Amino acid sequence: MPALDPFVIAGPILIVVADIIVYVAVGKLGTKSSGKGNKYQPFTGGEEQIPVRGTYQSELFVFAALFMVVEAFALLVAGSFASPTNLYPLLFLAGGGGIIIIATWWLLIVGGMRQ
Amino acid sequence: MIATEVAEILIFPGLTFFVWIAFLFDWLDRKTSARMQERVGPLLAGPSGILQPVADFFKLTSKEEIIPEFADKFIFFLGPPLFFAAPAIGIIFIPILGTTPIVSNEYDLLFVLFIIAFSALMAAFLGYAAAGRWSTIAMGRLIAQYTGYEIPLIIALVTPAVLAHSLSITGIVLAQQSLWYIVYAPLSFIVFIIAALAELEKRPFDIPSAKTEIVGGWMTEFSGRPLAYIKLTKNLSYAFLSALAVSLFLGGPLGPVLFADPTLQAALEFVYFVVKLLIVGFVIFVVRTALARIRIDQAVRFFWMVVTPLSLIQLAVIMILWWK
Repeated sequence: MPALDPFVIAGPILIVVADIIVYVAVGKLGTKSSGKGNKYQPFTGGEEQIPVRGTYQSELFVFAALFMVVEAFALLVAGSFASPTNLYPLLFLAGGGGIIIIATWWLLIVGGMRQ
Repeated sequence: MIATEVAEILIFPGLTFFVWIAFLFDWLDRKTSARMQERVGPLLAGPSGILQPVADFFKLTSKEEIIPEFADKFIFFLGPPLFFAAPAIGIIFIPILGTTPIVSNEYDLLFVLFIIAFSALMAAFLGYAAAGRWSTIAMGRLIAQYTGYEIPLIIALVTPAVLAHSLSITGIVLAQQSLWYIVYAPLSFIVFIIAALAELEKRPFDIPSAKTEIVGGWMTEFSGRPLAYIKLTKNLSYAFLSALAVSLFLGGPLGPVLFADPTLQAALEFVYFVVKLLIVGFVIFVVRTALARIRIDQAVRFFWMVVTPLSLIQLAVIMILWWK
């Protein structure tokens, strides 16, 4: 079995950490504000009626989530073709698929399914 | 050894280098578009305005960052850097200096495919987190468009893998030493460029961020630092997808061997790569300027009825002719 380059896992983690550090550091350049009132309402294009939190079709999200699950399985099948070992296809697909599933689940629990 | 690898990932030819390529792409895009429309384009910051994207980035980061009342604050904060991380991670699997990338594995093409999917997903989340009228409409359009272009994009990327009998980007690049895969699979290359236009939300597929219809699309509620990061990420994705096209269809950094010295040859291969990258980028700049926006239903129909069959036909031809 060929050895796994540790940077295959450490590299992406390093980039995410560096990215967040830079993002926080860059945030010092400008001011931040949050609160209530007109300034913090969603953009209305000049209309007087300020919209409430937007709604959208939940069916589209269910479809997109299922689509991604099917995609993950399709790639799993693709990744196993002519594979001398199951380790790397499973590792990569678990990593990639896991991120998508966790992200979708995160969206759902924070209200992404609300009609 | 570890320090060298970390420097390669974070500085050259990794993240920092590609951020500069992203700024360059932004400038070239604006300049090309301006020339085609008989305008001047960026002019003031740096020679011929080449530093305008950098100036724009820092101008935006120094502006006030307003978090809307109804926004999901956690995603609003963490979303932009995660959105940025997707193409930033992808570039470390692309061979730029010679045929060996910074990080490689036998199945890195699969990982890159997930990164592309994750990037679209993060854009949808950001639209959701903003919780505005326009961003909600844009998010629906984004997801509908995503379900249209994702399948042909994957099929187009899998075709070189079938040709090379490898799911490693390095393996695919090395297999193109005699002839580039754009010659064997021209339809896949065209499909990839079309799908990349949709992934990048460039005309004619800029439907999720159509300025004349839905203000700023899913980016409407973003300002200051998050907006600067989102715009930079879009340009980084631009460079990343172009680099992927170069690696999978145009032989990556491979080209005529002119030097016996390996260092000089590696430098030359780097030049080959950058030139090919700019050519692919230029094709996208021209196409996106020349075409007009289509409707979302037209886009989805186009992807399912035209682009997906084209990608399947190319894959079938390749599998019939090259199956060993």
